[in-house]
Amino acid sequence: MLPGPTLLSGITAIVEGALNSALALDPAGRKALLAALPEPVQFSLTNPLAMHLTLQQAGDRVQVGSQPAERPALVLSGRPLAFIALATGDDQVFSLGRIRVTGDTGLAHQFQRALNQLDPDWEAAMAGHIGDVPAHFIGRRLRGAAHWSRQAFRSLSANLEEYIHEESRSLPGRRELEATFTEIDALSLQVERLDARLGQLEDNNPEAPNREKP
Amino acid sequence: MTQQQPSPDQATPTPGQDDVTHFGFRNVPKSQKAGQVAEVFHSVAGKYDLMNDLMSMGVHRLWKRFTIELSGVRPGHRVLDIAGGTGDLTMKFSDLVGPAGKVVLADINASMLQVGRSRLTDRGYAGNIEYVQADAEHLPFPDNSFNAVSIAFGLRNVTDKDQALRDMTRVLKPGGKLMVLEFSKPVNPLLSKAYDLYSFNALPLMGQLIAGDSGSYQYLAESIRMHPDQDTLKGMMEDAGLVNCKYHNMTGGIVALHVGIKP
Repeated sequence: MLPGPTLLSGITAIVEGALNSALALDPAGRKALLAALPEPVQFSLTNPLAMHLTLQQAGDRVQVGSQPAERPALVLSGRPLAFIALATGDDQVFSLGRIRVTGDTGLAHQFQRALNQLDPDWEAAMAGHIGDVPAHFIGRRLRGAAHWSRQAFRSLSANLEEYIHEESRSLPGRRELEATFTEIDALSLQVERLDARLGQLEDNNPEAPNREKP
Repeated sequence: MTQQQPSPDQATPTPGQDDVTHFGFRNVPKSQKAGQVAEVFHSVAGKYDLMNDLMSMGVHRLWKRFTIELSGVRPGHRVLDIAGGTGDLTMKFSDLVGPAGKVVLADINASMLQVGRSRLTDRGYAGNIEYVQADAEHLPFPDNSFNAVSIAFGLRNVTDKDQALRDMTRVLKPGGKLMVLEFSKPVNPLLSKAYDLYSFNALPLMGQLIAGDSGSYQYLAESIRMHPDQDTLKGMMEDAGLVNCKYHNMTGGIVALHVGIKP
């Protein structure tokens, strides 16, 4: 059961406050995001947590709503997990159909670009509370930790891939697989051409029996 | 402190008493209600926002937020905020309609309008807001003028609610939306008892301590009980000519948002 309107409004108020606070730390990013929100953009979450979230420009702020917009320019619908995957940078959710996009696709690209470009200056926000030097020290540590995590994750993925493909030979390698797929595509194309050629020859020969089309 | 609660049923005007109406649990001549309501709001105007926050524990902001969400107001729209008071809804509407739109903040009470105007101007809201002292029963606007009309916590103070709803419908453009945010009837009997206890005891006490006026907040509690319940108000909106009327209970029905569309 979904929370009532009062609680939903409370949740969206918190989300809106956090979002606008983050945008205040990146004026250029906020400008780009607001430019991508001339009309409401709606996120429709399906089972198991069916709810809507709408983003809309209101003055120089982004307004977050919990009710479906009357005329959204763009609707992204999918399961909550798909949106979590998108938030962590997995763009394949679109090509795999885990998130369905309806509406203005140009706006969708603009919106995605604006989101990707967002880079709030957390260090400046922290400096306002604890001072420039401690904020810079903590900021450097955090950036270093984030950089190390990303690098470690990439390295782990590469090592795992190499082990599965090259050492255990559990799965064919990516290039090997691509070469096989290319050969299959070429063969399929050749068969289709041969079939078309045979069809053409039979059509030109009036004595030939009617050939059943594949 | 427990206060003796007069029965609202005894105070309900009987059929034939066309010249009287409620003022809380009391009956007063219709011609006097507007003046008495005006006295209440003149008295509380200065502390209105603070009292709202205290009485509702800040939840009135969420009720108004939900109203804005359902309004569907977009850039370029014209919006009328009746009984707009200190301008909570007007501020949000002003952001949504942008420089190409217009928001009219209307209130029958000059003191409330003055407080609202000062508050909005101090916060930098100017250019797309007009201030009009107007009676909801006789709105000084042409037919089909607004994309949306809202009245938040104001309808229960209006003497002739049916006339007010008809006039609000008149000024709406076809396809426009009327939103009535108002106290209503809690749906849970336990919540209803707790709410009665709170509103007839705590509200007047808070009014006395903060605003120096317990009578106005006694009136607030009484006027809420005399206001039509959710289904009755929905029927009144349909009678006024609106279609697709529906309501959303909030906080267990303590407040309801009614929405109707002008065909």
